[in-house]
Amino acid sequence: MKSVKSTITKLSLVVVAMYGFSYALVPIYDTFCEITGLNGKTNEVAYTGSDIEKENRFIKIKFISNVANSAPLYFEPAVTEMTVQVGKPYNTHYVMKNNSTKQLHTTASPSVTPGKFAEYFKKIECFCFNQQTIDSGEVKDLGIQFVVDNDLPTNIGDIVLSYTMFDITNKVVEADKL
Amino acid sequence: MSTNIDHIKEEHHHQPSGLMRWITTTNHKDIGSLYLWFSLLMFFIGGFMALIIRAELFQPGLQLVVPGFFNQMTTMHALIMIFGALMPAFVGLANWQLPMMIGAPDMALPRLNNWSFWILPFAFTMLLSTLFFESGGPAAGWTLYPPLSLQGGNSMPFVIFSLHLLGASSILGAINVIATILNMRAPGMTLMKMPIFVWTWLITAFLLIAAMPVLAGAITMLLTDRFYGTSFFTAAGGGDPVLFQHIFWFFGHPEVYILILPAFGIISTIIPAFSRKKLFGYDSMVYATASIALLSFIVWAHHMFTVGMPLAGEIFFMFTTMLIAVPTGVKVFNWVATMWRGSMTFETPMLFSLAFIILFTIGGFSGLMLAITPADFQYHDTYFVVAHFHYVLVPGAIFAVIAAVYYWLPKWTGKMYNETLGKVHFWMTTVFVNITFFPMHFVGLAGMPRRIPDYAVQFTDFNMIASIGAFGFGLSQLLFVYILFQTLRQPVTAADKSWEGAEGLEWTLPSPAPYHSFDTPPKVD
Repeated sequence: MKSVKSTITKLSLVVVAMYGFSYALVPIYDTFCEITGLNGKTNEVAYTGSDIEKENRFIKIKFISNVANSAPLYFEPAVTEMTVQVGKPYNTHYVMKNNSTKQLHTTASPSVTPGKFAEYFKKIECFCFNQQTIDSGEVKDLGIQFVVDNDLPTNIGDIVLSYTMFDITNKVVEADKL
Repeated sequence: MSTNIDHIKEEHHHQPSGLMRWITTTNHKDIGSLYLWFSLLMFFIGGFMALIIRAELFQPGLQLVVPGFFNQMTTMHALIMIFGALMPAFVGLANWQLPMMIGAPDMALPRLNNWSFWILPFAFTMLLSTLFFESGGPAAGWTLYPPLSLQGGNSMPFVIFSLHLLGASSILGAINVIATILNMRAPGMTLMKMPIFVWTWLITAFLLIAAMPVLAGAITMLLTDRFYGTSFFTAAGGGDPVLFQHIFWFFGHPEVYILILPAFGIISTIIPAFSRKKLFGYDSMVYATASIALLSFIVWAHHMFTVGMPLAGEIFFMFTTMLIAVPTGVKVFNWVATMWRGSMTFETPMLFSLAFIILFTIGGFSGLMLAITPADFQYHDTYFVVAHFHYVLVPGAIFAVIAAVYYWLPKWTGKMYNETLGKVHFWMTTVFVNITFFPMHFVGLAGMPRRIPDYAVQFTDFNMIASIGAFGFGLSQLLFVYILFQTLRQPVTAADKSWEGAEGLEWTLPSPAPYHSFDTPPKVD
């Protein structure tokens, strides 16, 4: 029966390892998407690298917005389209209004389409790096500063930048209580 | 002297009677029977839910149930059929057969065996109880995709806990199976001399211990996302719902092979018995089973071609999926080659096995169609997918279980079932299963989405046919229950070797098989 025991020990280790592997898939997935630029994941921290050389190349950026789960928010881009020079920093903003009767906490999740060009879209400053607090009826301008990298391939049409705004008031309030 | 020995033996075999016998049993045959009866009960509960679905879909518009309840039925039907009917049926067959086939007295871990079974009734009580909640049962589909599953009612934690229990039960069962097969074979039975059913179960058990913990992890993440503020899949906190689909199908695709590999083993046992020839290509059968199992871990994303994967990913998963057709083709070829020039007879188990080969292959072909990425954009989430997986699971896996029950019933009970009734059962089942599921191919290709309670009027005729078939199929299974009970009332008449062409150690034991299979291990040459 000694061999039965060693079989059980080994198999139990496999079970534990596979359970761990399911959690390991989370960082593996994120890293994989980051390296390959899949999934339209943009950089989640500000671009602080050296200045990018300007190039005599122009590209159209489209801005779109979504509000998740029908939250009581007005959330739209100030301009829906910009033609930008590659390598030159630009400023624009989104407008958000709280249509509810109480203070809300929000956070935005960004995405770039086509996904494989996300790495060339560098955000120097973005409201999506932080959470927002907005009072009832308040209107806020949410700024972005960005630059398009001159490594951007030439065989490319328009780039679409999308933000989805989430109401996370419940989560924030619960976390404060703890 | 001899009375003395008999007395000692009696004491040794002393056991509680009545209900306590079944609750405390550690005998592999008792536990096998418990699993099989439990599976039959779940088959009828899940089948009843399927009939509610088919009744609602008999004509367009909403007649019988509200859409919310309809979604609960599709979700529960799947969970119950997969985790309640099919998996316990195969574990039950493993319990009955493995010790007898490898010449062992019992399973390696009898007490653990008792536990793995008795977890099930609690898990399913919890799962089924959610239907009586005010907010109803789970309705996001058995795949539990977020964000929908995170927005459901109060049933969600109950469903997840019951899935945890079911997973624990399967893992314990799988560990037991591997420990038994690796350590308790009769002297002389090398791995490559094991019966093919034992091989397929060994590989299935490895799939179970590799895949079930991943499901446990995925649903635990769902649970903490909903109740403990984590953001694995909630986009608001930087999570990604698509990640859940990846983790789920990393479990999910091995899971579908867990449901079919033991069926392959059963068919590979029955076809030679009624062809009176040895199984053609035993070695290649073993290697094919192992390659199917290995491939199952690198094809998961073919369930999610439409989520927006990059081209390289789509192509990778398309080709690995198609690759699975090769070992599966080897198996189908071997079954046909086994029958070639055999002295075939067509008793009920053989009929079910033959229907398995043809109808499972149809399901395999529609699977190949779904594997073609550009075509899948048309088929995804339509009734074509429903037709595909019901073809591989109903006339596939379920037919194999029914065939196994008819084949080994004389060994288990010492009694022979009524062959005429068995054949009637076969023909009714086979005709109705095709009436039910074949039209689903057509409505699927024409664009009818799955998981909807109402549909466009042009799909009406085929849906009516499918519903009629479903009710016929359901009623035919009542005949199966009748045959089982009729058999149990017979006197013991079955021969030790109940089928002329049957081979294997189990047929060297008396019928019905004694309570402890092999007290002294048999010798295998």
